[in-house]
Amino acid sequence: MNEPSPVVDVRGLVKHHGEGQGRVRAVDAVDLEVPQGQTLAVMGPSGCGKSTLLHLLGGLERPTGGEVRLAGRRIDTLGEPALARLRRRSVGFVFQAFHLVEELSAAENVELPALLAGCSRREARRRAGLLLERVGLADRARHLPSRLSGGQRQRVAIARALANDPLIVLADEPTGNLDTAATLEVLRIFEELRSAGQTLVIVTHDERVAATADRLISMRDGMFVDDTRLAGAGAGPVPEAGTGTGWLGGLIGLEG
Amino acid sequence: MGSIVLVARLVLADVRRHQVQAAMLLLAVTVATATMALGLSLRGVSDAMYEQTRAATAGPDVVALSGDTGPAVTSALAELADAPEVTAHHGPYQVVYADLTTRGSTSSPVVVQGFAETPGPLNRPLVTSGRWVRPGGAVLERGFATALGVGVGDHVTIAGRSYPVAGIAVTAATSIYPWAAQIGPYGGPSDYTGLAWMTRADARALASSRDLPVTTALDLKLRDPAATESFIDAHRVPITFHSWQFTAGQDMVILRNSQPILVVGSWLLGFLAVTGIAVLAAGRAVAQTRRAGLLKAVGATPGLIATVLLAEYLALALAGDALGLVIAHLTAPAVASPTASRIGGAAGPDGATVVAATVLAVAVAVLSALRPTLRAMRTATVRALSAPAHQPRHRPWLTALSALLPTPLLLGLRLTARRPGRAVLQACSTATTVIGIVALLVIGAQPERGYGLDGSSALPNLRGEHDRRVMLAVTVLLIALAVVNTITFTWTTAMEARANVAIARTLGATPSQISLGLSTAQLLPSLPGAVAGVPLGIGLCAMFTVGKWTLPPSSWLFGAALATLVVTAALTALPARLAARRPVAQALSAEST
Repeated sequence: MNEPSPVVDVRGLVKHHGEGQGRVRAVDAVDLEVPQGQTLAVMGPSGCGKSTLLHLLGGLERPTGGEVRLAGRRIDTLGEPALARLRRRSVGFVFQAFHLVEELSAAENVELPALLAGCSRREARRRAGLLLERVGLADRARHLPSRLSGGQRQRVAIARALANDPLIVLADEPTGNLDTAATLEVLRIFEELRSAGQTLVIVTHDERVAATADRLISMRDGMFVDDTRLAGAGAGPVPEAGTGTGWLGGLIGLEG
Repeated sequence: MGSIVLVARLVLADVRRHQVQAAMLLLAVTVATATMALGLSLRGVSDAMYEQTRAATAGPDVVALSGDTGPAVTSALAELADAPEVTAHHGPYQVVYADLTTRGSTSSPVVVQGFAETPGPLNRPLVTSGRWVRPGGAVLERGFATALGVGVGDHVTIAGRSYPVAGIAVTAATSIYPWAAQIGPYGGPSDYTGLAWMTRADARALASSRDLPVTTALDLKLRDPAATESFIDAHRVPITFHSWQFTAGQDMVILRNSQPILVVGSWLLGFLAVTGIAVLAAGRAVAQTRRAGLLKAVGATPGLIATVLLAEYLALALAGDALGLVIAHLTAPAVASPTASRIGGAAGPDGATVVAATVLAVAVAVLSALRPTLRAMRTATVRALSAPAHQPRHRPWLTALSALLPTPLLLGLRLTARRPGRAVLQACSTATTVIGIVALLVIGAQPERGYGLDGSSALPNLRGEHDRRVMLAVTVLLIALAVVNTITFTWTTAMEARANVAIARTLGATPSQISLGLSTAQLLPSLPGAVAGVPLGIGLCAMFTVGKWTLPPSSWLFGAALATLVVTAALTALPARLAARRPVAQALSAEST
């Protein structure tokens, strides 16, 4: 029987920043497999290459060397338009600085990925409504980001990351700008995502966040120095790229 | 003193850091002030060139012209010569009306004046090449010779007789080419006519050989050259008088349309300069606010802060003003004398012109930079230091509307909505450009009579050509500034929206969609601008046109608006593409810090 291919499969990944003597090896020949449904936490000191790794996994940066496969499809050789289409359908990002569009309401921010993916306005609005309800912000749907607290903004950002039911969610220090209460609220959502079988890669400094993961990788100087299983990682069948079977799929009845 | 040093140091440092923006401000102000100074200088330069020609040719104060010949006329003119106000006279001399044909078969009406082989003290045409009249040879007026393309040694045929061109000369006794005749045959109206000189005997022989129309002229020098009007009033005889002031004024006829084209063109250029530089200034508003906060934190007063922020714009605008005035000074003689009938250069722009151009330059600087400066001054220190980003307004109806559109239009509409003031400026910039193009088309569509025989266009209408050249130059400058503006608008929009652009890319928008969105954001306001520019251009032409005029075909006007939009789209493509391809991770990191 064939083993199901992992959602993320990275071989000999290298990323250099800068030139000559100022060159920095942000990611230094790392190998990584993330099975479907696994929550992976990546920890390490500032500047160890965690965020760069996340950007490489999501196709926001191009590697200097090595291979990145998402659901079996090699993405490091794709052109920009193909990468954009991949991100649209298969990847959701959550950033430390939230990166919400300031002049759009919470609901409009969450609708945006669905609209970019070609959904009708009605469908995009329906999905946004369900997702905001799920992150506890149904009553804040019409608020602008500037009128939301940091925790609420991050929950909007998580809802937006899930709008197209992605194959994988990549979170870069999702609790870095949050107080304890807001952090706990975000952790609760991540826990729900993990339970629903959503594949998650979380870069964090926060041990509370790392503790919710199935697996913890420690990085230093661009390399993995430790890889620990914290709980039994899921290894279910991998869906085709662009159709997750995660939280939103269950929520709104999308078929894998 | 310390404050002045501080301001100078800060201004110089800022100019060094923003060299492209400084160059753009300098260019825009230079173009606008040069055009305005040129327009306002034309009258003065034209007068100055007439004065210099008059001085060099001992020009008469009054020319008395009679449509007849014979003893009675000679007697009447002799009486004038003996008048107590007259200190010297030249003539009476015959003016013969004929046709002139060159070897290249170009024909033109010509008046031939019979002069002595040795000129007297009054009305001594200045020979600029060749020599003065001799038996059997003709001397052509320089403006006429230039239009004909004839030089010394060529042969011309006047009333069927061939004459070698002995020389080329200028005179202040007649108006510039093609208004040399001053009166027509038998005192009637005159047509476009060139001027030639022959010996008196040759002129008489020419007139009698073909029984050509002849009039008589007398040049007079008055005791008081300014008192020409009182002299003319005192001698009410059936004779036409042309004072030197009248002749100088006639020189401006050829520039009648050029002056409004240049002055109105300078307003339009000034307006384009304001729109472009205002966008640049707005693009730097966050940095300027932070700078103001830093200065406040170290104890600078609001006055000093305003000085620092405005001084850069004012200094560059004044440098552009000075450059524009120099350019106007250098180009004025060529623009003010399109016929070569006058000699000399011009003194610098007069005081009023310098003041007007400087007011325009300062207005461009202040109007462009005032709003960001006031904002920077009014922002509280701590808030200024945190450099708050521009917070666009939430427009739910527009967001809902754009959600129905394809992705590039969705992005374009939302980017446009971020800065409605910017959209208005873009629309105005496009409208201004279309106004210039429409005016050029209107001037090109006017029918005109050539200066050749019977209105033939073998000799082109110099006034019409001059108007078209001046309008073309103004339109090219307008288009050049509009091009710079469009690129500036697109790049500034892209830079201000870089966070949103990066977010859209993380959500799956392709670089092409982003690029199209940025271009759309510029095209959306350009569309009403181009549409409005057509009637505005026609209205502007109607304001400055006397008498009947012809409107260009609708297809030309429609084509101008359409071409403007197509070019705008093309111009936005490159900066939009560059902005859309900026690394996403880098943009997001910059926004996070």
